[in-house]
Amino acid sequence: MSMTPRERVLAAMKQEKLDRPPVAVFTQSATVGEMENCGAAWPEAHSDAKLMAKLGAAQATYFGFEAVRSSFCLTAEAERLGCNVDPGKINSTPMIKKHPFKFDAMEDVYDEPNLLDPEEFLKGGRPAVILEATKLLKEQYGNEYAVIGGNTGPFTLAGHMVSTENLVFGIMMNPEMVAKWIDAVNPIVKAYTQALADAGADIIQMSEPSSSTDLLSPDMFTEYSGRYVKESLASVKGADSVLHICGDTSEIIPLMADTGVTGISVEEKVDSAEAVRIAAGRVACVGNVGVVNPLLQGTPEDCAAAAKRIAEAGFNVISPGCGLSALIKDENLFALVKAIKG
Amino acid sequence: MSANMDALVDIVVKGKIKEAKAATQACLDEGIDAKTIIFDALSKAMGIVGDLYASKKYFLPQVLLAANTLYQGLNLCLPLLGGDGTASKGTVVIAVVEGDVHDIGKNIVKAMLTGLGLNVVDLGKDIPIKDIIATAVDKNAQIIATSTLMTPTLAGMKQVEADLKEMGKKGAIKTMIGGGATSKEFADQIGADGWSYDAVEASHVAAAFLGI
Repeated sequence: MSMTPRERVLAAMKQEKLDRPPVAVFTQSATVGEMENCGAAWPEAHSDAKLMAKLGAAQATYFGFEAVRSSFCLTAEAERLGCNVDPGKINSTPMIKKHPFKFDAMEDVYDEPNLLDPEEFLKGGRPAVILEATKLLKEQYGNEYAVIGGNTGPFTLAGHMVSTENLVFGIMMNPEMVAKWIDAVNPIVKAYTQALADAGADIIQMSEPSSSTDLLSPDMFTEYSGRYVKESLASVKGADSVLHICGDTSEIIPLMADTGVTGISVEEKVDSAEAVRIAAGRVACVGNVGVVNPLLQGTPEDCAAAAKRIAEAGFNVISPGCGLSALIKDENLFALVKAIKG
Repeated sequence: MSANMDALVDIVVKGKIKEAKAATQACLDEGIDAKTIIFDALSKAMGIVGDLYASKKYFLPQVLLAANTLYQGLNLCLPLLGGDGTASKGTVVIAVVEGDVHDIGKNIVKAMLTGLGLNVVDLGKDIPIKDIIATAVDKNAQIIATSTLMTPTLAGMKQVEADLKEMGKKGAIKTMIGGGATSKEFADQIGADGWSYDAVEASHVAAAFLGI
């Protein structure tokens, strides 16, 4: 069977039976090794479409993964909407330093969500850079590799606007105001998801870390995240959709599937075989090689063993369980690819 | 224990935040001293909250609510204690290391350690290592607790150990670490005295360091 990497990834999203699963970084994909190899580096590549496309392609061109991906962080949308962002360094991702809106459930003082119109949102800032980079990736690599567009989930983005802790505390104090904020960001998230697909992304991977069970109880998930994800991600036209959530997702995998996404991306805190069992064929499973262990702190042999174990467990796409640390050594990623592709 | 004290425990556990000040005041009015209220009602309540979290009956939102309810009572009691935290069972300096701004986990650990009856000096997030150590020395802290969710910032935790060693304070000031990117193996590797998966475990680690 001769397939291009792109065909293999897209078949895996449909959960088709394959001789082997694809291996691709669906989460943040850049490392210092890639940057040194391809000549595009952080922090410049966060805000320059050509550099972003070059570095976003490096997971395929340097390591041999079977996809390319635009965007390396979850701060582009937040910055466009008024957050103060530190661009980070060559080995560290951008960080949100200041949340623009007041949301104080203790004092009962809240700003109204006066945000950019979705159409206006897409026209400038780093979202526009990421859309341009996605187009370039599609033009240059789209026949051979699956193009992944990464964006930020609605609960997470609302948290960026008012501080995540304020928003989570708000659930207990003023749930209507919390809903008002997520309602306000979700049309922007939806427009951005569709714009990434229209720019050429085959798959939109939405990261929604703030709705992890480390932050929300499973019975809050659908109310504050899942129903919005259904609207802003699962409804995308012309692309597959993958919902990424960190932490131990075992209790919310069925709820993640309920959103109607094509696939879910989970980390190693949920056992691989258990994740496949719970997903029960309703969604493609993407993951879940540990980023800290084995990728950052383990040996190439550890990485290869983890990849094989996850393939054996039945994951549809072998991928890191969370965004790569830029400090991961080249040999560990080469070992991960080789373990799956042979 | 008095009915007022029982009521205060219940208020903190259930996060009835608007009732906390009045309930604490009722205990004080009854003649119960602030220290007893802290240790026998507020600490006890956070212990129960910790158990509910550990058994997955509570998640972060409920814990945040309980913690904020705790602080309502604590803010009434603390000014009534003599001196600067001298009535506490120990002093902890806590911070998210420089380069990281993810501080929700740190804030929950702070609440649990406060609930344990410790004086918690919270430096906040994105804090240079030298400031963490200088504060610990200045405050005669027994424990330095640091957290990070990210990987580039793990180096800061290693730096804490190296700096303490250089100052001859390694062991005299115990160190504990936590956060998404950390692990027991990493703690052992850098020589940290303790690691915890979550805030409840963190309170056990700190209690063990202090023999309480």
